[in-house]
Amino acid sequence: MDWAQLWEIVSLPDNVPIVALMLLVPFFMWYGLRQSFATDRMIARLEADSKLAKDHHRKFEPYRKGWDQKVHVWPYLLRIELLAAVVVTLILMVWSITLDAPLEEPANPNLTMNPAKAPWYFLGLQEMLVYFDPWIAGVVMPTLIILGLMVIPYADKNPLGNGYYTYKQRKFAILAFCFGFIVLWLAMIFIGTFIRGPGWIWFWPGETWDHHRLVFEVNRDLPEILGITQQPWVGIFGALATGLYAWAAGWVCHRFLVWNDFNKEIYARMTLTHYLIYQFFMITMLSLPVKMVLRLVFRIKYVWVTPWFNV
Amino acid sequence: MVQRLKSWWKSLSKLEDQPVPERDPIVNSSLAIPLALSSLLLMLSLVWAFYEEGWGLRPWRVYQDEFQELFVSALEKKKPVSREEEQAILASSGYQELLARLRQAEESRQSDLQSLEQQEQQIRQRLAILTRPFTTARSEIQAKRYEVETASASSRESLARQLDELRQRNYRIEFPDGPQDYTFGELEEEFNALKAEQGHVQQRKVELLRAPARLQRQLNEYVNNRLAGLTEVQLDGLIGEARGQGIYIRQIHNPEINLVDRCESCHLGIREPVTLTADEMGGRRVFVSHPRPELLALHDPETFGCSPCHNGNGVGTVSVTKAHGKYKHWLWPLFAKENFEAGCLQCHQNDRHLRYADTLTAGKDLFQYRGCMGCHPRDGFDTEPRETREVQKQITDLFAEKQAEQLKAERLLNLGDRAATNEEANQLYADAQAVTLDVAAIDARVDQLRVRADELLLEVKKPGPNLKEVRMKLRPEWIPRWIENPQAFRPDTKMPQFRLSPEDVQAVSAFIWQSGVEGPLDRQPQGNAERGRQIVESRGCLGCHSVGEGEQQHGGNFAANLSRVGEKANYDYLVRWVHAPRRRTLPYCPVHARDITPEDYAGQGLPFRFDLEYNRCPLGDHSLQVQNQNVMPSLRLTEQEARDIASYLMTQRHADAQYAPVPFIEDQALFDRGRFLVRHHGCAGCHEIAGLEDEGKIGTDLTLEGSKPIERLDFALLTHDAKKEGWYNHKGFFENKLRNPAVYDQGKIKEPLERLRMPNFHLSKEDIDRLTTFLLGSQESVVPEQYHFNPSDQRADVQAGWVVVKKYNCMGCHEFYAGQPTSLVDLPQYQGDGREKLPPNLIGEGARVNPNWLARFLENPALSREDVHRNGVRPYLDLRMPSFDLSAGEVQKLVKFFQALSRQPLPYLPVPQEPLTDRELVLARGLFTSQAAPCLRCHATGDPRTDQTKTAPNFALVSERLKPDWTRRWIVHPEIISPGTAMPSGLFREEAARWVFALGRVPGLESYPGDHADLVVRYMFQFTPQEQRRLTGR
Repeated sequence: MDWAQLWEIVSLPDNVPIVALMLLVPFFMWYGLRQSFATDRMIARLEADSKLAKDHHRKFEPYRKGWDQKVHVWPYLLRIELLAAVVVTLILMVWSITLDAPLEEPANPNLTMNPAKAPWYFLGLQEMLVYFDPWIAGVVMPTLIILGLMVIPYADKNPLGNGYYTYKQRKFAILAFCFGFIVLWLAMIFIGTFIRGPGWIWFWPGETWDHHRLVFEVNRDLPEILGITQQPWVGIFGALATGLYAWAAGWVCHRFLVWNDFNKEIYARMTLTHYLIYQFFMITMLSLPVKMVLRLVFRIKYVWVTPWFNV
Repeated sequence: MVQRLKSWWKSLSKLEDQPVPERDPIVNSSLAIPLALSSLLLMLSLVWAFYEEGWGLRPWRVYQDEFQELFVSALEKKKPVSREEEQAILASSGYQELLARLRQAEESRQSDLQSLEQQEQQIRQRLAILTRPFTTARSEIQAKRYEVETASASSRESLARQLDELRQRNYRIEFPDGPQDYTFGELEEEFNALKAEQGHVQQRKVELLRAPARLQRQLNEYVNNRLAGLTEVQLDGLIGEARGQGIYIRQIHNPEINLVDRCESCHLGIREPVTLTADEMGGRRVFVSHPRPELLALHDPETFGCSPCHNGNGVGTVSVTKAHGKYKHWLWPLFAKENFEAGCLQCHQNDRHLRYADTLTAGKDLFQYRGCMGCHPRDGFDTEPRETREVQKQITDLFAEKQAEQLKAERLLNLGDRAATNEEANQLYADAQAVTLDVAAIDARVDQLRVRADELLLEVKKPGPNLKEVRMKLRPEWIPRWIENPQAFRPDTKMPQFRLSPEDVQAVSAFIWQSGVEGPLDRQPQGNAERGRQIVESRGCLGCHSVGEGEQQHGGNFAANLSRVGEKANYDYLVRWVHAPRRRTLPYCPVHARDITPEDYAGQGLPFRFDLEYNRCPLGDHSLQVQNQNVMPSLRLTEQEARDIASYLMTQRHADAQYAPVPFIEDQALFDRGRFLVRHHGCAGCHEIAGLEDEGKIGTDLTLEGSKPIERLDFALLTHDAKKEGWYNHKGFFENKLRNPAVYDQGKIKEPLERLRMPNFHLSKEDIDRLTTFLLGSQESVVPEQYHFNPSDQRADVQAGWVVVKKYNCMGCHEFYAGQPTSLVDLPQYQGDGREKLPPNLIGEGARVNPNWLARFLENPALSREDVHRNGVRPYLDLRMPSFDLSAGEVQKLVKFFQALSRQPLPYLPVPQEPLTDRELVLARGLFTSQAAPCLRCHATGDPRTDQTKTAPNFALVSERLKPDWTRRWIVHPEIISPGTAMPSGLFREEAARWVFALGRVPGLESYPGDHADLVVRYMFQFTPQEQRRLTGR
């Protein structure tokens, strides 16, 4: 283990937000889910006991009989928000005093730094470049991410879960989000920050980032592995393979949508447009981990090779 | 334990299981404490931010506070010393005399001054009363006048009336001696009159005080010139200034070189006019004054700043590390103490020798002498081969141009013949003539270039010996031993150690041996080794070579140590070498790229003869290389002396040295492999090797090595260690590479031929520092061209001259500037009285000698074609000025160099000496031969009977060798020109604005009205051989 270098990477001012992210996201995840599970259990209790449901209106723990059913935003919410604002300002103050923005050497157009890394919030996109062509990773995907986030309120046909923590009632939304944000977005940032060294080579944490390291990695296209080398067969094969993936992923997503009775109910409320939008975004999102596995584990570069684009 | 943790976690994760408070926490819990606490912390962070803004990010404020205190106390401590010194000066008679004159001047002017001051006082009083009413009236009238000027026709008249009224108005002024009435006109007149009078009085006062002021200035100068430091008053001034200094960033800004340096924000003492040592400044090295104020005087910091010389981040003020640029992102960190002279190269690329920069100059010496330049191209080093190529190319180009021009001329003439009209024909003929003139110009240029090409053949030198001669020169058994590890045989040799396998050593040895030429070598009888030893010790060999080993080693380190020559050399060849070191066995033809053999000469029906005169190739019209390309000069020894020296050198050997037989050396199968290796390792960079004469340099160009991006320096597998250990920078790279040139191959799996080729020079720590300094400084300059030291005046001659001086190691024997070490000066034979036997020092040589004579002397130091086994000027010295066979260009460079060093104008126009009258001749002769004047006791006269014991040059040389003005200075004040000289001083004494002979009586000389020193000089410059014979009575 190269502790000196690991420390160097972790302590880089650029990487402080990422280190914080790695600690804070799990904590708040746990913190939020704890509340959600408690609420879920309370809902179950109230549904089972209609008498209790009558005088038990506050939908979160802890609760005691006689407490106000509702409390005012002012002062009870705003004073907490004020406190939070003060604490956050304090953290930002101390942070900005102690860690200066890293001003590096004058840019030299003849010499690019190695590894050249995007700012931390874009590292996920940069890591995606490993798995997709630039036009997909850099243009299509970011657009789809933004569009997908915009579409959520319209595509969401689940009326429950507003104003209180719950897991059971929004299981699908939470899982989809966790997958998209934590597994895909954050994991990619983590990889980009701590795993990718000089030459964008994969270094396990603690491995020395050696500029002279050479790795033997031959990436091949899927048709090539299967012995298909002639166009148009390569293109046709790619289209078929991609179609197959879309069908399979769609099937999985569909199974997910009709997982239990609650989900089925929501499914029943969806129109065809809703359903297609849902499928489109889910299939696209799933393609990233699939492509990652193909690339990292099976060293497959492209599945669908055409003279115009590669996927 | 585990159980408890588990239950704790469970209770933590299950909200229902946690105790429910009595009252609603949302409504009832008070946030006052957290809010107060976080607000307080927020305030504290604000305070912290202010602190950072004020001091944390501006550490120089603290430095400035500290400096003020330390500086004032240091100055206070200097005051008593200064006061004491000053008191001594104030008490001196010179000062008192001046003071008395000052007092007297002041007193004599006292009464006049007083009356003037009274007058002035009165005028001032009246003016004070008058000024206010006058200026008020004036402004009113001026305003009214403007109104009139711009008024409409209708109102103009009334306004003009008002103006007139104003002019006529009465102004009453209350003077102390009674009131007075004025109109405005009178008022103005009175005012101007008073002003004029005031000026007049002031003028007179200044005139009156002029003499005392001059005396006061003289007094101040008297003190300042005699005081080492500052006077007490000046110190007080500095203290006051320091106390009054505000706290602010001291910045040097020179937009021309894009310079912003704030170094002096902390280094506050750098430019103070007093010397501040760390001890005086409380041990704080940051506050010392610049250790080399003379350098600052040459390079005004307001223009040059600090960082162009020292590197570092001149703008940085945040911390010491940042400002010194010693962090990852600043590409050019402050030069380390041992390398700081690297900064000189920013502007002084062309100075082969740089005063005040000994380390850098030594680095350049190493680069040249150790043969770095054999493999590495570097601007300013080993320029001759490149120039040769350029000259050849120019000649070829010009030749083509000439042919084209000739064709053009012919065409024009043809056209002219066929022209229709006379005018047309004339025009065409005129054009043809112009073209013919161009051809003549080209011819002249080509001739010049040819001369230059021939000169270059003489000038090109190699750091190592000619390997074509090994068969004649060396014992074969010695060769592989040497190639394997030269340092084992001779620890301080220039030849580096190559990393060769034993097989490779054999192959290289075989190739070198087999590629050598054979030639006739006379059998030489044995000489007298003891006499040889004496010659080596006394003739000047030790200016470059050293003899003896270990503690016994003495002599110069420019050329080889001679202690084991006997183990390697062939006696017969050694005699030839010592006698004529530049003599080749076969001449080399650069055009045919091979050695020219006797058969080639015979084929053309020519005798096999080649030397500096017979240097044309028998196979074509071009010049041959007729000399060995080594700098070793000829000492003009007799053959017998050469045999003695060679016999002595053959005794220089280890008695127990064993050499294994070398059967492989004639193995022709090894030839190709050896040749390949020799090329691969760049041996031809330093040696002349048959078939490889035109090999290029195999190494990296080092001209800009110091500014190579660090990523381009291949630390290989050591990169990570270098970063961890803090030597991932240029300095670290160079130092490690020089210490062990193979270091960056460490751990790498490479084929032998892929490995780093740079051989190991076994450099000492000091040498590594010197070379590192040189390499670090080899940067792309940050300052623009006009800042570089490329003078267009005589100083350029100095630059060019140093290159030649360094090339031939003139400094091994001669002193060029005061305090310069030579190889000879410390040898035991030159101590005490032996100092007289040292070669002349050349400080002021340009002022001393006639440049035309100097050129002749440098061409032929014997000053004679026949009698060559002697010194031309100082035959009495054992040491001998060698013959370097300099090219005409080099001779010119040296002559100009000496003239420029002494700031003598060129061309030199000797002042004709007034002829001596008969009476003067008799007087001068009398002075010369008088028992009182010891001239002839030391100076040679050309009489072989007495010259054996003479220790000074012959007078017969004076008129052509010396300059009259210098000669006069010399005979009057020899001790000033050359301290410690045997030439007696006090020969003349000053008497009523002329110099008279001071030692004893010479008949008739007292009545001679002229200057005696002049008389002697004129006599010497009109000295004839007849006169000399007459003097010596022959």
